[in-house]
Amino acid sequence: MNQKILKRVKRRDRIARHVITVGGVAIIFSVILILFLIARVTFPLFSGAQTEQVARFPVSTAPVAAGLDDYLEYPFVIDVHGVVRFYAPPGGELADEIRLQPPTAGSGIQSVERFAGLNFGVLWEDGSQTLEQVRFTTRFDEQGQRIQDRRIARLATFPPPSGGSVMESLVRISEDGRQTQVLLLDDGSLHVRQDSETEDLFGNVEKESHAFVLSGLPDETIAALTMDRQGTTLYAGTDQGTLLRWDLSEPGEVELLDRLPAFPDRRAITALGLVFGDVSLAVGDSEGGVSTWFPVRVSSQGMHKQLQRIHTLASHNAAVKTIYPSLRDKSLISVDVEGVLHLDHMTSERHLLSIETDAPLVISSLSPDGRGLVAVDADGGAHLWKVDNPHPEISWKTLFGKVWYEGYDKPEYVWQSSAATDDFEPKMSLTPLIFGTIKGTFYAMLFAVPLAILGAIYTSQFGHPRLRGVIKPAVEIMAAIPSVIIGFLAALWFAPLLEKSIPGLFLSLAFVPLFLLVAIVLWQAICRHPRLENLDRGLEFLLLAPVLVAAVFCAVKLGPVAESAFFEGNFKLWLFGQTGVRYDARNNIIIAFALGFAVIPIIFTMAEDALSNVPNSLKAASLALGASRWQTVWRVILPSGSPGIFAGTMIGFGRAIGETMIVLMATGNTAIMDWSIFNGMRPLSSNIAVEIPEAPVGGTLYRVLFLSAVILFVMTFILNTVAELVRQRLRKKYGRF
Amino acid sequence: MKSFWKQGEPFVWVTGAALSVTLLMAMVLIVVVLVNGLGVFWPSKVATAKLHDGGSVLGEVVRSEAVFEGEGERLQFKIGNRELYGLDFRWIDKTDISSITYADDTMVLERMEYGNFYGRLIGLSPEAQAVSGGGDAVQQLRQAHAYVMQQKDQLEELDDELASVNYRMDQLQRKEKALLYKGRSPSDPEIQTLRQKRNGLTEKFQSLHQRQMKQVTELRNYTATFTDISGTDRDMALMDLVRFYQPNSMSVFSKVRYYLIKLVELLTGSPRESNTEGGLFPAIFGTVMLIFIMSLFSFPLGVLAAIYLREYAKEGMVVRMVRIAVNNLAGIPSIVYGIFGLAFFVYGVGGSIDRLFYPEQLPTPTFGTGGILWASLTLSLLTVPVVIVATEEALGAIPAGVREGSLALGATKFQTLTRILLPMASPGIMTGLILAMARAAGEVAPLMITGVVKIAPALPVDGNFPFLHLDRKFMHLGFHIYDIGFQSPNVEAAKPMVFVTTLLLVLIVLIMSSVAIHLRNKMKKRYTYGTF
Repeated sequence: MNQKILKRVKRRDRIARHVITVGGVAIIFSVILILFLIARVTFPLFSGAQTEQVARFPVSTAPVAAGLDDYLEYPFVIDVHGVVRFYAPPGGELADEIRLQPPTAGSGIQSVERFAGLNFGVLWEDGSQTLEQVRFTTRFDEQGQRIQDRRIARLATFPPPSGGSVMESLVRISEDGRQTQVLLLDDGSLHVRQDSETEDLFGNVEKESHAFVLSGLPDETIAALTMDRQGTTLYAGTDQGTLLRWDLSEPGEVELLDRLPAFPDRRAITALGLVFGDVSLAVGDSEGGVSTWFPVRVSSQGMHKQLQRIHTLASHNAAVKTIYPSLRDKSLISVDVEGVLHLDHMTSERHLLSIETDAPLVISSLSPDGRGLVAVDADGGAHLWKVDNPHPEISWKTLFGKVWYEGYDKPEYVWQSSAATDDFEPKMSLTPLIFGTIKGTFYAMLFAVPLAILGAIYTSQFGHPRLRGVIKPAVEIMAAIPSVIIGFLAALWFAPLLEKSIPGLFLSLAFVPLFLLVAIVLWQAICRHPRLENLDRGLEFLLLAPVLVAAVFCAVKLGPVAESAFFEGNFKLWLFGQTGVRYDARNNIIIAFALGFAVIPIIFTMAEDALSNVPNSLKAASLALGASRWQTVWRVILPSGSPGIFAGTMIGFGRAIGETMIVLMATGNTAIMDWSIFNGMRPLSSNIAVEIPEAPVGGTLYRVLFLSAVILFVMTFILNTVAELVRQRLRKKYGRF
Repeated sequence: MKSFWKQGEPFVWVTGAALSVTLLMAMVLIVVVLVNGLGVFWPSKVATAKLHDGGSVLGEVVRSEAVFEGEGERLQFKIGNRELYGLDFRWIDKTDISSITYADDTMVLERMEYGNFYGRLIGLSPEAQAVSGGGDAVQQLRQAHAYVMQQKDQLEELDDELASVNYRMDQLQRKEKALLYKGRSPSDPEIQTLRQKRNGLTEKFQSLHQRQMKQVTELRNYTATFTDISGTDRDMALMDLVRFYQPNSMSVFSKVRYYLIKLVELLTGSPRESNTEGGLFPAIFGTVMLIFIMSLFSFPLGVLAAIYLREYAKEGMVVRMVRIAVNNLAGIPSIVYGIFGLAFFVYGVGGSIDRLFYPEQLPTPTFGTGGILWASLTLSLLTVPVVIVATEEALGAIPAGVREGSLALGATKFQTLTRILLPMASPGIMTGLILAMARAAGEVAPLMITGVVKIAPALPVDGNFPFLHLDRKFMHLGFHIYDIGFQSPNVEAAKPMVFVTTLLLVLIVLIMSSVAIHLRNKMKKRYTYGTF
């Protein structure tokens, strides 16, 4: 033969071998790649916060407050003389200088209270206060370069009090223009002043002013004060560890809501701050502890709420000096007297960051979006850090454990990923979703497994051979019905039907076995005649079909009768009255049917394969020994085929876990944890489908959804691998199938 | 009798019952879909119900059910006329109705907006009368409507032209943006010519648009006046009427004709009224194209992998691992594929393409957003295992003697494969492909994340260069069902359309799988002699 051709042929063969091998191995890799790529998206969820020092520069002497813009372009420092200096990192050159006008000339700043971003309540040495707001406005010039204009607006001025010198002051302006001023005087008394302007229908402006001294103070020194943004709730902490809370929402009417010892050892409260959203109060104590508190209903009946310690964050080594909230999420920064800064997240109780510099930090501030941190140390050095803290609210505990969320009476598993407001506390517990998946799958398998396996036994062992050739393709076609169609019919056709005849369903649970029994007995009586004997062999299921239809029909028709007899005429009301379970129109019964319908063909086909591949010799031997056909199946065929049946069940199980469209359409998608079959659930799969379109790429929700995909993957991976291993063993035992 | 129980016969019956239940359920599903889907387009009679309180209701009786409280039944009327009544449906207790009649001159109008109108024809506007050839009012309406529809077709051609001009303008702008991005100055001659071209197109667009507007205003003068049951007159432009008929006086023949017309509209028309009326063409087209692109990827990959497993790999650890991997691939939930497609194809590959080739468009994504290509690739991953399993089965069914014979005659392994084995296994491979296609046709969850939309503004294929737009979003039959069944503002009115779409999808999937199963069975028979 021509050597050239031979060579070419051989070369082609070699190339083909390589290409094909590469293709095969690529399949394994793609599986691993899928898992890896999905898992990779979730990794950042668990990484801590990273900081990168952007600049370090000296600032003017005696700073009292500091702040930062979102772009980390203009850190600024306010000094005791009322001068606001903006610096330009990284060099720290002075970029801008704005002088705050003191209410009386020559007065310096005594202290500054920063709240809600770049608002500064300034207490001047003469006892007057002003409310200053630093504003950054962004514009773009012709070249498209970003320029930030810096401005300071004075929102309000408060005159000094008539007597006594002011130790500490809080000033607020609410959205409807009410001004609230709280003063702590050197005699330890708390003075409140509320000014509001109301305009009536005719445009007359009425000024209202209330001033009073708070009573009911314990005989202790107030060490820390804070107030919410609107000036409606005032918090105070004393050196004996007493926490106080007043309601100031009604002008002129003050109510002391709480007065309680915060800690058993009565350690001093040294710092207070409100977590973003103004619901939780952060308390720093003299032992370095940081905890958050919010009002919780004391008894189950009463409406009275009392402050309660909810979260305990990582402890400092020394007394906490200041606590500032983040303006983006429920994070807090706390600085102790030794100048160590902690960044913690309230919900997840994660300690994200500790910063310690050569000289202790005295003043610190996060940028409004939480991505920058500026701090001034005792030596007058300013530090600017870029903070990369993408997912502080996620920890293993918030994902899988019970968490006490703001406004809840007790720790709970909750999934609620978003809400209308920014200061919302995301609740991302995957437990109710995993529960939903397991619940839906469990009931569906309860329905599908017996039907599928029994049906497979019948088809492979008892069915007429000719019919078997019809049944198997029929079931395979059933497997091809798209799940979106099953889900649609379940939700829009079956659910309303079921709602009308729930008692009918219960009745048919009793009627179907009863009718079956009667039918079998009757048929036996009829078929005594030898000529009719064996007529039914392999055709039983056809005979039974009308019986089943009749049973269900009777049950549905008698349903209303049963409803009035047993359930006082209305099952849903009865159910709610008796058990407190609400009947959802799209409930687990529907899921069981629909999901079961989708899974039956899968289990059926594999079980049927396994059973019909049991060697015929076994069957023949058993029958020859005198066993009946059922005895043969039960004692011989089933044990031999059981690994295959098991594998089929596992694969069906995996399919049910991952099924998305059916559960998406036929449940209410409410993430509740309740085993009742009369309400719905929210499984992992449909949760992904519902939420991923709204999840910003790279955001926490996006990554948590990927994590739930990983969980789904792992669940099905385990089930499928087990099934495949069993099948491979089986294949070895009985040869190919 | 005793032995009957002892031998466990009743258990046999129980297994039979289980099979019965399974088959009955499948039958119920098919029957429900058929019954609800087939009847949708049959023109049903329009009843005039006189009520005891003096009022009357005109509409199709949709169904009846028992009232909640007390005895008796109530009827659901489809009363249409959404702009007048606000609701399409109304429940009326049978006891409130004094008589039901079927007036011959009752007319049903299918409209572009606001759903059906039920009422009577009063007359035509002078313009409309002028173009009709005479006869009674209904005939006049028919002729005038035909004329207006013909005019409207021309308008639609104008529409296409406008869309094409618009697309070209868009492309020019993109090019300009790209040049600017590359650092060319705005006064660059190339950019200037682009601008000139674009200005020319803008002028063309304006003039076309004006021409269109003028024609539309002219056409709007062709109106007809109808009255509803309560005597409210309404003038309607003939161009807003899709079709009209008088169901109470229709013969069976004309009903069949109407049914067929509706069927043609379903298969070739575009959807109207947020998908609850009109045709399914974009959805059918999207589905077919999706399946086609998916097959292009999953078919070669799957066959290659199966050949490796069956013909090349040596039984051992690796093959076992690959088998496990393949079976896992088949078992991974489709939504996980979807989320993988989103992360890998859309944001990963698509995002990279955007950064490399379309940086000037950012942050507006070109390929970095869901589209038909990414959806197809995701689906092809999902269906590869189906092809692998089927191909493997087909190769395995070929008797070893055939293989050995070929090798003994001196053929190489590759030659044996391409000349002997693959042709013999082709029916099996086809089976796998068809099954994979059926699976893809019915799969919705991964598509929802990777690019399917309610209403796609343009098909992925059109007359504008490069003709195939793989970055475009698309419509899909399965998603159509989900969308109009669950996200439509008027679920009750959308129901018929959902059932029709369901029927269509069921038919497609069932036919495909039946063909696949048939092929497989045929093949099995062919080689069964060699399995031992």
